Amino acid sequence: MWSYLARRSAQAFFTLLIITVLCFLLTRFSGDPIAQYAANPRMSAEDKAALRERLGLNQPLPVQYFKWLGLAAQGDLGNSFFAKQPVTKLIFQRLPNTMALMFVTEFFTIIAALILGIISAVKQYSLLDNVITTFSFIGFSMPIFFSALGLLLIFAVQFKEWGLPYLPTGAAVWDKKDPVQYIYNMILPVTALVFVQSAGYSRFVRTSMLEVLGSDYIRTARAKGLTTRAVLFKHALRNAALPLVTIVGLDIPFFLGGAIVTESIFSWPGMGRLFWEYAQRSDYPVVLGILLIISIAVVTFTILTDVLYTFVDPRIKIS
Amino acid sequence: MKKNTYVLLSLLVLASMVLAACGAATPAMTEAPATEVAMTEAPACAPAGTEPVAFPDGGKSVTGAFDQEPDSIVPYFSQMSFAIWVTQLTLVGLAEWDDQSAFVPELAAEIPSTENGGVSADGLTITWKLKDCLFWSDGTPLTSKDVKFTWEAVMDPGNAPASRTGYDKIASVETPDDLTVVIKFAELYPPWQTLFTQGPNNGGAIIPEHILGGQTALETNDFIRMPTVGSGPFVLTEWIPGDYMTMLPNPNYVGGLAKLDRVQIRFVADSEAAKAALQTGDVDWYPNFSEGDIVALKALEPGVKLTVVAGSDFEHYFFNLGRTEGVDGRGKADNEGFCPFKDINVRHAITIGINRQAIVDSLLSGYTAVPVSQWPNTAWTNTNLEVESYDADKAAALLEEAGYTLGADGIRSGDCNGVETKLSFNFETTTAPIRIEAALAVQSDLAKIGVEFKQIHTPAGTFFGQYVDGGPLTTGNYDLGGYTTGFYPDPYTDNFQCESVPNAEKPDGTNWYHNCDPFLSDLVDSSLATVDIAARKLIIDEVQKYVAENYYVIPMYARGDVFGSTPRFVWGPTGPQSNMNWNAEMWDVTE
Repeated sequence: MWSYLARRSAQAFFTLLIITVLCFLLTRFSGDPIAQYAANPRMSAEDKAALRERLGLNQPLPVQYFKWLGLAAQGDLGNSFFAKQPVTKLIFQRLPNTMALMFVTEFFTIIAALILGIISAVKQYSLLDNVITTFSFIGFSMPIFFSALGLLLIFAVQFKEWGLPYLPTGAAVWDKKDPVQYIYNMILPVTALVFVQSAGYSRFVRTSMLEVLGSDYIRTARAKGLTTRAVLFKHALRNAALPLVTIVGLDIPFFLGGAIVTESIFSWPGMGRLFWEYAQRSDYPVVLGILLIISIAVVTFTILTDVLYTFVDPRIKIS
Repeated sequence: MKKNTYVLLSLLVLASMVLAACGAATPAMTEAPATEVAMTEAPACAPAGTEPVAFPDGGKSVTGAFDQEPDSIVPYFSQMSFAIWVTQLTLVGLAEWDDQSAFVPELAAEIPSTENGGVSADGLTITWKLKDCLFWSDGTPLTSKDVKFTWEAVMDPGNAPASRTGYDKIASVETPDDLTVVIKFAELYPPWQTLFTQGPNNGGAIIPEHILGGQTALETNDFIRMPTVGSGPFVLTEWIPGDYMTMLPNPNYVGGLAKLDRVQIRFVADSEAAKAALQTGDVDWYPNFSEGDIVALKALEPGVKLTVVAGSDFEHYFFNLGRTEGVDGRGKADNEGFCPFKDINVRHAITIGINRQAIVDSLLSGYTAVPVSQWPNTAWTNTNLEVESYDADKAAALLEEAGYTLGADGIRSGDCNGVETKLSFNFETTTAPIRIEAALAVQSDLAKIGVEFKQIHTPAGTFFGQYVDGGPLTTGNYDLGGYTTGFYPDPYTDNFQCESVPNAEKPDGTNWYHNCDPFLSDLVDSSLATVDIAARKLIIDEVQKYVAENYYVIPMYARGDVFGSTPRFVWGPTGPQSNMNWNAEMWDVTE
């Protein structure tokens, strides 16, 4: 086990190094941070040159990269070019909002996926199964911006126009005196995300359940006279949920990146919007910082999932 | 199973609330104490309060929406328009520009002039007199020493302001008494009005010595990012990053107590999110709609109020007139521009071959106008000039006269410096939707006169890229270009200077037209030889006339400042050089 972990860690280290080089080059070539001031009459050529020097943008690319990498290795992701604050501070300001949004979304996604997937599997080819399958495909194929904007226009804009109780158009607005408002503001973005994500998850559950329900041990359980509920939830679901555990495990690191489109549409102050706002301004330190954290999380969770799988499924052994 | 689910559900909800609570607690910027201030008549030269006026139950509040979060509120350390707009609400300068573009006092008692002795005969000394009884929002007196400190902070090598332009021309700032500021320039600096003053295009507010004195590296200072003590109509009291900021009235504001009890600004992703929030009344105004939103906003009236102000920024197309040999040894460019553009008849034909008024009517719904020059909607506009109307027949005749005849493919060609050349050229600009729509109209217009106009839309970061990165504007690798700019509140520009033509030796040059016309270059520079505004106006008038007569640039349309607001929010008036924030103390709500 330990030699396996050491080998995987070494692989992960080199993978991360390659990722940092690629991310650095991609962000560096995506645009010049000073270009946004190009047509700004408030800044002279001297001002722009001074700013470029201060931000270290006039140094050769390898120097910029190794400087950034050296600091990142010590846990210092540098300062934002424009906010002039430490990148870690900016990230930790937004991370809790993203985690709150994503964990609540994931929870309801799993619940919805399990319910829909099990019903679909148990009532295979019934009208209900067909209805669920149709809605799953709609959710799966519909771009998130479409469903999110649709929800916003119906439940916020139109409901207000029709004189009905309506939901807020966005924002987190954590008020210590009124925490309910925070949850209230979360309803639309969570609904939009659950609608899309549960569509995919429910198909996994359905397929997995169908496979398990046709296996010998389920037939044995039924032959023993167990109730349908006991067969489904005690015996079938435990095995059928295994692939879902893997998918959820691998999805968790991506929570850190937030949901760029959903957070933008609902003005949710999370990591996705942070990334998008600073990417638009070519603020490399912030963009690189977020990408690095996500990369580390993905690599770490991939190893962890592989290791944890051996505990969850005794048939798998690490060699 | 059921019990476990309930436990899990409870834990998740609890965890999300804890995470959210952590999120709100993380930022250092928490709500500043705000207590009730008794607004009784204060004795002479005593502050009306020492803290922002607390928001009363049922108080009047408005919420605005910004699609970019300011990086820092104190000017000098930010170049974001959104930051300067918040500055206009929270910090003031010696003077500002009003809705009529008039230069009016703010902290100053009067505008310095030769007549009142504020401007010395040699133009090198400017003396400002402050109003009596000025106080910061914390009750500390605001004096001439704060003005001096502001200059010192900008010039301190230990600080990294975004720009020192103009402030670096000052030799000394003297404060003979608390109400007098004597600014002595090392050399003549005609745009002196842009220093220590503010408007939407320049952030020159005064900063407090009693808070920032003795500190360096101000660019990373928490107070610079979020000044909780101010001099504007409102004081910033709360800022939740990515979410919203709150401002409460400043009891000591020089213009009197604001009518509103609270102003909040929410950060939204884009204009679409702002539009939805305006419709539901979640926000009361959004100041950054584009001209492309005008039609959609008009459809939302009267639920959403549309306001369009013709701005001093303008969209212009310009010919690359680079000459590798330069002119009289001046202004050598790396690339020769498109050869036919050297012919004034070709430039003239292309200018009148574009139906600019139709673009204004369709894309801007007729809210702005085709500018006569590059100084639209300012006091510097040459009002004697007239826009030359669209005339396709005359344009075609001019091209014939220049020797370009129609080919079988419908594109004209002719001899240019001994080389048969087709009138087919690239037009480079950014990917902004309004530019793409305008370019499509231009392409169609020019095709009618036998000119092929090929569009290249590149991201702004590449289009404005620096010389070493091969940016088309800086290297001169383009034929016709287009973007928006504006020369205000001071009219000076170095866009026509021969010495500003970028090349390998001078990659930072800002003459992206690559046009060296020694007469024009010297004429523009002569506007810096005097501080006399009337004399400068005559020179700038002449510059506009000369540029127009030579068809060096095509002023396409004045940009519009497009605002959306709810009917309950009462604000205005606003002008191209004041923005809506210049008189925020007068903002009110109808209910």
